[in-house]
Amino acid sequence: MFFLTDIGSCKHIPIFTERYISEPYFGKYSSLLDSDFQDFLAREVSLGLCEVFQNKVNSAPKLSIFNRRLIGEGSHRRLSTSIRFDKYQDSVSKLPDHYCEAIIVEKLPSGVFADPFELQDLLHRGVYMKASAFGDTNLELPSIHSNRSLVEIHMDIGSNALTGSKHGLEINIELPIHARYPPLGDCGYSRIQFGQPYLFTRCSVEGKSSNQNCIFMSTDSTAQALDNSIIVWEVPSGNKKHATTVSFFTFMSAILSALSIVLVSIRHSNFETDDNKQS
Amino acid sequence: MIRIDFRSVILFSAFLRIFLIIYGEWQDTHMEVRYTDVDYLVFSDAAALVVSGVSPYKRSTYRYSPLIAYLLTPNSIIHRSWGKVLFSVSDLLVGFFIRSILKLQGVSDKICMYSVMVWLFNPFTFTIGTRGNCEPIICAMVLWIILCLMKGKLVQAAFWYGLVVHLRIYPIIYALPIVLALDPCYFQSGKKPVLRKWSSGAIKAALSSTTKNVSERVHKWGVILRLFTKERIQFGLLSGTIFFLFTAIFFYLYELEFLHEALLYHLTRTDPRHNFSIYFYHIYLHYEQEFSLPEKLVSFLPQVILQLVLIYRFRKDLPFCFFLQTVGFVAFNKVITAQYFVWFFCLLPLILPWSNMKLKRGLLCIFLWIGAQTHWLLWGYLLEFKGKQVFMYLWVASLLFLAVNTFVLVCVIIHHTCSPLFKPLEHVNRTKSTKYKQWRPG
Repeated sequence: MFFLTDIGSCKHIPIFTERYISEPYFGKYSSLLDSDFQDFLAREVSLGLCEVFQNKVNSAPKLSIFNRRLIGEGSHRRLSTSIRFDKYQDSVSKLPDHYCEAIIVEKLPSGVFADPFELQDLLHRGVYMKASAFGDTNLELPSIHSNRSLVEIHMDIGSNALTGSKHGLEINIELPIHARYPPLGDCGYSRIQFGQPYLFTRCSVEGKSSNQNCIFMSTDSTAQALDNSIIVWEVPSGNKKHATTVSFFTFMSAILSALSIVLVSIRHSNFETDDNKQS
Repeated sequence: MIRIDFRSVILFSAFLRIFLIIYGEWQDTHMEVRYTDVDYLVFSDAAALVVSGVSPYKRSTYRYSPLIAYLLTPNSIIHRSWGKVLFSVSDLLVGFFIRSILKLQGVSDKICMYSVMVWLFNPFTFTIGTRGNCEPIICAMVLWIILCLMKGKLVQAAFWYGLVVHLRIYPIIYALPIVLALDPCYFQSGKKPVLRKWSSGAIKAALSSTTKNVSERVHKWGVILRLFTKERIQFGLLSGTIFFLFTAIFFYLYELEFLHEALLYHLTRTDPRHNFSIYFYHIYLHYEQEFSLPEKLVSFLPQVILQLVLIYRFRKDLPFCFFLQTVGFVAFNKVITAQYFVWFFCLLPLILPWSNMKLKRGLLCIFLWIGAQTHWLLWGYLLEFKGKQVFMYLWVASLLFLAVNTFVLVCVIIHHTCSPLFKPLEHVNRTKSTKYKQWRPG
C-alpha cells in the first residue's frame, strides 16, 4: 500500500517551470548520503495536496514500482524501472483541470554513474520530458576517487491523469548507467547494490486565482513490498595479488622492447649518400 | 592494366568521405550504436558553448585548444556535420601533401600514387575523419611543416610548428630533430635547401653496401659546435613565441581551466581504465596510492631513451625519424587509444619508397599488427561489454601488442634505406670539406 508522507501547503508556481526537486541538495550537502537526502526531503521539499484537492480527495495518487531490473551486460547497462500509476476511483468528486508528471529520483550507488550528456541526448530524442544528473558526474574517475550521484527523471503522465479511465497507467523508465573502475579486491568482482528510488507525482492545477503545483511522494517501503528483487551488479575488479607480477613484467617488457629497438637503430642506421660514395 | 591518375584517386576519396558522412548521419538517427565519434559530440558541445559566449571548458571532457571549438562553431550555425567535412578535407589535404613531399624528392609517379593510396584508402584513416575526429588536421599540419622545411620556408615552418604543438602537445617530440635538421651545411636562410633525390637503384645498391659514413664522424662533433646557429635560434624563438602567444591568449580568456584541461591534463594523464598501453593494469593496481617519483621516472625512461636514440641515429632522414619517433612514442605511452595510430599512419607513405621490404614480409607485419590489435580488442570486449574479469588476459594482450609494435618497428628499420632529406649546400660543402681535410686526424 502507498501512503502519503506529508500533507502541507502547496507552492504557487506556474505550470512546470519548477526546477528539479533534488537540484538544491548539492547546494547544501557536498556528497550524497541516504540520511542527508531524507533530511533534505523532509525539510526543503514541500510535499502534499494542494488546496484545490484537499476537499475532493483524502489521499495522494498511487505510484508503485512493479518491476525493476538491470538490462544488458558489461560496463554499460540500463536500469529499468516499471511504475504503475493508479487513478482515483469514480467516487472521487470532479477534480479541477490538472496536468501531471511522474518523477523518479534514482540515488546511484558508489561505483555507478549516469552520463549527463547521454541524458541530454535522450531528452533531445524525446525519451524523457526532463532528466538530469546531480552530484559527482565525472565520467572518468575510478570508484575510489569519486562520490555518489543521483538522477532525476520526469515523465509525462498527461492532462487530468488523476481521474479518467478506470485502468491505471504504466510507465517504463530505462536509465543508461555505467560502471566506474571499482576498488581492487581479492575475488575479482565488486558487488554494487541498488536501493529503491524515490517516486513523486507532481501535478499543476489551474486555479481561479493562480496556478498551483503539488508534489506527492510515495515511500520506498511500499515499493519494496511490490517488488522484492534486490538489484546487484557485479563489476570486474583488479586483483591485488597481481600487483607485483604485473609491475615487474610491465617494466621488463618496456625496457626489453626499448633496448631491442635501440640496438637495431644503432646497427642499421648507416646512411647511404652520394658523399659516402665520393669519400 | 588500368592507369589511375591522382585526380581520380582524390575524387574517389572525396566521394567516399562524403558518402560516409551522410551514412553516419543515417546511422546516428536510426541505430542504437552511433557512427559519430564521442569526441565529435564533445567538440560540437564546446563549439555551441563558444557560440553562446560561454567557455568551451564548461563542457566536461573537452580537453583541447579552444581553437578546435572555434573551428567547429559553424556546427551550431550551418550544419552539425561541418566539422566532419572540415576534418575530411584535412584528410584529403594530407593526401596532397604526401604527393608533394614525395614529388619534391623525385619519387616516381607510380610509387607516389601507391603511397598516397596507402593513406587515402586506409580504412582506419578515412573513418577517423568522417566519424569526427580532429587528428587529420594535426596530420596535415605536421606534413605541411615538413613541406615548408623542404622548400626552405623556415618562418612558415616555425609558425605552424608552434601552432601544432599548441593544438596537440605530442609533436613536441619533433622539436629536436627539426632543430638538428637546420644544420647550416644543409639549411640556410634565403637559400633553398638541396633535396636528395630518390632513386630505386640507390635502394638496391644500399642493400649490399655497408660503407661507413665518414662524414658522420665529423658531424658528431659538429652537432655540438653548430648547435646555436641563426636558423635554429630563429626557428626556436618563432615557434616558441607562437606556442606561448596562443597559450597566453587562451589563458587570459579561460584562465586556469584552459591550462588544466588543454595542457596539464595531457602531461600528467595516467588512466587506470583499460587501453592499449602496457601500463594500464599497473596504473590501476597502484591507483589507490600515489606513484613515487622514481616509479614515474622508470616508466618514462624507456620512452625518453628511445626518443633520444632514434633522433640521434636518424635525424638526417627527417620523415623517417618522425615516423619512428611517433611509433615509439605511441607504443610506449602510458595511455594509447586507437586515434593515436593516425599520427604515424600519415607519415608511413613518406617512408615507403625508401623501404626494400619484400611484399611477404610487409604483409606479415600488417597481419601481425592487426592480429595483435584484434586479440586485444577481443579481451577488451569481454571486459567492457560482457563484464568478464579478464584484466590479466587483457594486460598480456597489451604486452603482445607492444611486442608486435617492436617487431614491426625493427623490420621497418632493418629494411629502410637511410637517405638524408637534404644534400649539403654546394658552397658550404666545399668550405666544410676544406676544413675537414685540415681537421681530420692522421
